[in-house]
Amino acid sequence: MKPAITSRRVHSLRWRLLAAIGAIVLTTWLLTGWFSYTKAQHEAEELMDGSLAQTARLLLAITHDNEDDLADIVARLETVRGTEDNIYEPPLEFQIGLGDGSILARSPDAPELPILGVADYSDIIRHDAAWRVLNRVSEDGRYRVQVAQAIGLRDRAALEVAVQTVLPLILIVPVLILFIYLSIRRTLRPLEQLADEVAARSPDNLAPLASRRVPTEAQPLLNAINRLFRRVERTLDNERRFTADAAHELRTPLAALKVQTQVARLSGDSPVREHALQQIEVGVDRAGRLVEQLLRLARLDPLNQPPHTVPVDLGRLVNEAVAALPERDRIVLPATSAVVLGDPDLLQIALRNLIDNALRYTAPDRTVEIVIDSGVDNCALTVNDHGPGVPESMLARLGERFFRGQPGKTEGNGLGLAIVARIAELHAARLRLANRPQGGLSVSLQNLRPTAG
Amino acid sequence: MRLLLVEDDTLLGDGIRAGLTLAAYAVDWVEDGKMALLALADHRYDACVLDLGLPGKDGLTVLREMRSRGDQTPVLLLTARDTAEDKIAGLDHGADDYLTKPFDLGELQARIRALLRRAGGKAQPLLEHRGVSLDPASKRVSYQGRDVPLSGREYALLHALISQPTHIRSRSQLEESLYAWGDEAGSNTVEVYIHHLRKKFGADFIRTVRGLGYQLADGDA
Repeated sequence: MKPAITSRRVHSLRWRLLAAIGAIVLTTWLLTGWFSYTKAQHEAEELMDGSLAQTARLLLAITHDNEDDLADIVARLETVRGTEDNIYEPPLEFQIGLGDGSILARSPDAPELPILGVADYSDIIRHDAAWRVLNRVSEDGRYRVQVAQAIGLRDRAALEVAVQTVLPLILIVPVLILFIYLSIRRTLRPLEQLADEVAARSPDNLAPLASRRVPTEAQPLLNAINRLFRRVERTLDNERRFTADAAHELRTPLAALKVQTQVARLSGDSPVREHALQQIEVGVDRAGRLVEQLLRLARLDPLNQPPHTVPVDLGRLVNEAVAALPERDRIVLPATSAVVLGDPDLLQIALRNLIDNALRYTAPDRTVEIVIDSGVDNCALTVNDHGPGVPESMLARLGERFFRGQPGKTEGNGLGLAIVARIAELHAARLRLANRPQGGLSVSLQNLRPTAG
Repeated sequence: MRLLLVEDDTLLGDGIRAGLTLAAYAVDWVEDGKMALLALADHRYDACVLDLGLPGKDGLTVLREMRSRGDQTPVLLLTARDTAEDKIAGLDHGADDYLTKPFDLGELQARIRALLRRAGGKAQPLLEHRGVSLDPASKRVSYQGRDVPLSGREYALLHALISQPTHIRSRSQLEESLYAWGDEAGSNTVEVYIHHLRKKFGADFIRTVRGLGYQLADGDA
C-alpha cells in the first residue's frame, strides 16, 4: 500500500511542485542565513579592528611621558575593560612595553605574547583561544603597545546578527509553504474535476469534454482527448453499423434457406419443390461465398502491411486471373505491363474481385477492359466496365462493408469492394471509383509503388 | 386473400412467395420501398409483409408513409435486427406484428392468419356463416359438421367472402384476392368459382347484389 502512495506522490504534480518550491524556499533561507552570518562577521571584524586601533593609539598617547605612573594607569584601566558577556563592549587586553621588547605593564588576562611582533593586525591562537592582536609602536619608537580581543566574541556577534535576520523567516516559511500548497491545489482543481468527470462517465459516453475552466496549459491535452473521443466514436459507429449490417446479411440468407426448405417439404407439387431445392442450392452457394469473404476480411483486418512484399508483374497477374475465368473472351487485356511492389496473393484477390464486379454489372454481350498505367513513381491497375455506373452520391460509400450500389437483384454481398479497399490500404494505394464519361464504372488501384529501375 | 410482399432479397422473397402461395394466398412481390408504395396505392391488400432493411426507401419509411396517407393495411415486419429498440420502433411506426429472421414458415403463416383475423374484427380463429365453417389454420372447410374438400381458388374465394359476410365484394375485388400479378385470370372465372361454392353450400349461400357484386348475408342476417 505504502509504495503505491509514495509513487503516486512522486508523480503528483501538486507534490512535485510543493517539494520543488519547498526546497527552493529552504535553500534561499539557508543561503540568506549564511550570507548574513559572513557579512556580519566581516562587519564585526572591521568594527573590532577599528576599536583595537583606537585603543592602541589611546594607550600609546597615555603611556607617552607617563612611564612612572603606568602601574596606576593600568589599575585604573581595569575599571573600563568591559565584560565577557557583552559583545558590544568586549574586555580589553593589552600589554605596554618599551621599544626593546621589555614589558612595562599588562592587563591581567592579556595573552602572553612577545610584544616585538610585526606592527600590524594578526590572528593568533594561544591556549585554545583565538585572539585578534594589534601591535603598534609610538612615533619616536620608544614605546610599543599590544592590544588583543578574543575572536570568539566577534563570531558570537556575527551569529547573533545572522540569527536575527533569519529567525523571522522560520516563522514565515510554514505559512509560505501552506499558502503555496493551497494555491497549487486551487490551480489544479479544474484538472481534478476533469479527471472526476472522465472517471464518472459510462463507457459509451464519448461526448467532448467541456473546455471552460481548464487551464491553458492543459488545453492541448484536453483537445487531444476530445479528438481521441471523436475517433473512437467514429470507429464505434462503424462497428455498430457493421454489426447491424452483418446481422442483416447473415440472417437474410439463413431465413431464405429455411423458408425454401420448408416450401420444398410442404409442397406436394413437384415443379414447386424442384424450384425450391434449386433455390436452396443457390442460397448455400451464396452463404458460402459470404462466409469466405467475411473470413478474408477478418484475416486482412489485423494486418498493418502486406504479409509478403515482392516485385509483382501486373501484366502476368492479369493474365493469370483472366485465364481462370469462363468469361475470359469478354475481357480486353492491358496493352502494357508494370512491375510493382506488393503481395501477389492479395493483389490477385483484389483484381479478381474487381473483374467479378465488372462482369456482374456488364451485359453479357459487352466487354470489360483492364488497363495498366505505369509511371515513374506510381502505377495504376484499372478495371472499366460497361455497366450502368453508380449514382455519384453512392460512389464514396461503395468501399464500405455490406454497402451495395445496386441492391437486390445481383448476387453481390457488398464485401467485394470492401476487401479491395482494405488490400489497397495495406499497399498504401488508393481505391478510386469513377463513372466513365462514355458510360460504365471505372475502378482503379492507384499509387501502386513500382520497383526501382 | 391478397398479400403484398416487400423483400429485396431474391432468394428469401422467392421462398416467402412460394410458402404463402402454398397457403392459398395471392401474393404480389415487390423488391423496394417505392414499388411497395405504388402497389399499395393501386390495389387493396389484406395484409403486407414488409422487410425493414430495404434499399433506397427502408421499411420504416414505407410504413410511416403508408400510415400517414391513411392506409390501414395490416403490416407484418420482417427484420434481421433483434434489439428491443428495433422492434419498438417498428411497432410504434404502425406495424401490427414483427418477425425476426430467420423465421419459421409456419410461424409466418400463423401470424398472417392472426393479422387477417384481427383485421376482420374477430378473435375467433374459426370463420363461420350459416353452417359453413372455415379454419384458416388448417385450411379445412366443413358444412353442417362434415368436411367439404375445396380447390385452392374456391377456398380463397370463400375465405374472402366469409371474413366479412355482410360486405359486398365486386367481381374485380374478388378477382384481386384470387390472383396475384402474372396469374392468368379468365373473364368469368369468379362466376365459375361462385357457381362451385353454391353447388356445395346451397344456391342461396352467396347472394348476388345486382350491379355491385356478391355477399354472404345482408346487413340484418
